[in-house]
Amino acid sequence: MAQAAHTDIMAPEGSVPSGKPAAVAPVPRISLRGIRKTFGSVEALRGVDLDIAPGECVGLIGDNAAGKSTLTKIISGTYVPDAGSIAIDGQAVKFASPADARARHIEMVFQDLSLCDHIDVMGNLFLGREETRWSFLNTRSMRVHARAMLDDLDIRIPRLNAKVAQLSGGQRQAIAIARAASFEPRVLIMDEPTSALAVAEVEAVLRLINRVKARGVSVILITHRLQDLFRVCDRIAVMYEGTKVAERQIGETSLEDLVKLIVGKGEEL
Amino acid sequence: MSAGYTERGQGSAAADFLAEHAQVLSIAAFFALCLVFFTVMTDVFLTSGNILNILRQAAPILIVAVAMTFVIITAGIDLSVGSQVALINASAALTLAAGVPWPLVILAMLGLGALIGLGQGWFIAYQGIPAFIVTLAGLSILRGAALYMTQGYSIPIRDVPGFFYLGRGTLFDIPVPALVAVGIAVIGGVVMARTLYGRRVVAVGSNPEAARRVGMPARWTIASVYMLTGLASAVAGLLIAARLGSGSSNAAVGFELQVIAAVVLGGTSLFGGRGTILGTVLGALTIAVIGNGLILMHISPFFTQIVTGAIILIAIWLNTRIFTANFSLRRRG
Repeated sequence: MAQAAHTDIMAPEGSVPSGKPAAVAPVPRISLRGIRKTFGSVEALRGVDLDIAPGECVGLIGDNAAGKSTLTKIISGTYVPDAGSIAIDGQAVKFASPADARARHIEMVFQDLSLCDHIDVMGNLFLGREETRWSFLNTRSMRVHARAMLDDLDIRIPRLNAKVAQLSGGQRQAIAIARAASFEPRVLIMDEPTSALAVAEVEAVLRLINRVKARGVSVILITHRLQDLFRVCDRIAVMYEGTKVAERQIGETSLEDLVKLIVGKGEEL
Repeated sequence: MSAGYTERGQGSAAADFLAEHAQVLSIAAFFALCLVFFTVMTDVFLTSGNILNILRQAAPILIVAVAMTFVIITAGIDLSVGSQVALINASAALTLAAGVPWPLVILAMLGLGALIGLGQGWFIAYQGIPAFIVTLAGLSILRGAALYMTQGYSIPIRDVPGFFYLGRGTLFDIPVPALVAVGIAVIGGVVMARTLYGRRVVAVGSNPEAARRVGMPARWTIASVYMLTGLASAVAGLLIAARLGSGSSNAAVGFELQVIAAVVLGGTSLFGGRGTILGTVLGALTIAVIGNGLILMHISPFFTQIVTGAIILIAIWLNTRIFTANFSLRRRG
């Protein structure tokens, strides 16, 4: 069943070979080597390697405090790693701030969504990338583009000038994803995008992820909802106590397998 | 399948309009009520002479309140504006008395005001000290500096008609300070609603971490709003000096509270992110009209303070109630 859903997702990608699991994988879109990060006496990450191909979706799972969020924050430039290297399309990079990562087209959808409640939908979509003329906001042009961004991802929000605070959880989530996905990202990181959503909203977010993937974007998905992984991911990386303990192709694993890996009994059994 | 997902968030446009502008609409209604009340209760309130007088007296508060709106929208506060006005007021009088040409004095005072504001902004934005503490210290330091410079005396300004024109003159029968205030309010309103800078101010006040994550210069934006209050205080200090023909370290005592009251009365949230310049203008005018009207009704000036305070408390209480009522209404719909 999981396999069937998986192939169904892969189908629209058609000729994009990079979408296939990283069997051939020439140059990974993003490659992490020996990433370490320490907060005081806590070793948050103890040497993590991870490769992700273009158009591939990797699910990052693990218990609380396994280091998932720290790893994604290093990729998105929020934290600077103590050791290790990051390469994007084979080119070594160093991020000192979120702006550096953003300049390399790495986008992150944060768990708290990072939306400004007092700014309207359009303003949030263009937050930090406002189109201006003589430093005046170019509202007309942004409205046209915002509509196109939402249509492109099949997100239906009736009023672009509605304040974000007025929207439902799913709509807010959709805006956060649209903002990250619309400016030609190469890597899109999503931290718990479905944790607070109702069933129908989860479906919409998962379809969004597949649509983003189909454009050749590499996606990193953190989630506690393991059933979601089988809908969108090509590969699962399991984190445990700051290390990556296992990697599984989605077709070669099952829910029970993943649960065992997360709680740390996978290898013994 | 996803009907529940897409059908959310739709409501009547009129309800949304009312909800979004509830703050400004309520202060506008209250302002109109005050106008009607004082027109009925006194003979002279609604005469052009009195209206122009109100505008002239409200100008300094209005000017600083426009800048203060930017500060409060970033979830900050500037308690030092009264002291800044006094310092500029005294410095202007001293330098004019020393024979420095008045256009040069104006430029120097604007520069000094911006510098003082930027200094406070640096402590707040780059050193992470709460705005309340930094500007409370500024309130004491700057008032002290003004007292020290003047030794507590009032410094008379003599024979600079060009400078006096700024405070006492009229253009097309409208007092120059009122014109300056209206000009600054219009610029402030346009900057807040239409420019990239205004958007950054709102974003930083609404969600500072989000603003930082999307690459906005969050710290500089915060520091810069205190530069705006410094600049506005300088303008206010110059206008007061030009109107009174003297400079005093005791100018603008309690000014900061009137300014903050005007901004909050205008519907700007002390928690940041929400506020309008139009609301601030109405708030400043309401406070000015109440003060003026009560005096015309021969009510004790001491009582005026009590009434002003009570009205601010009630107005803000009502505002909060209206706002939360709309909120729950929306969630239910």
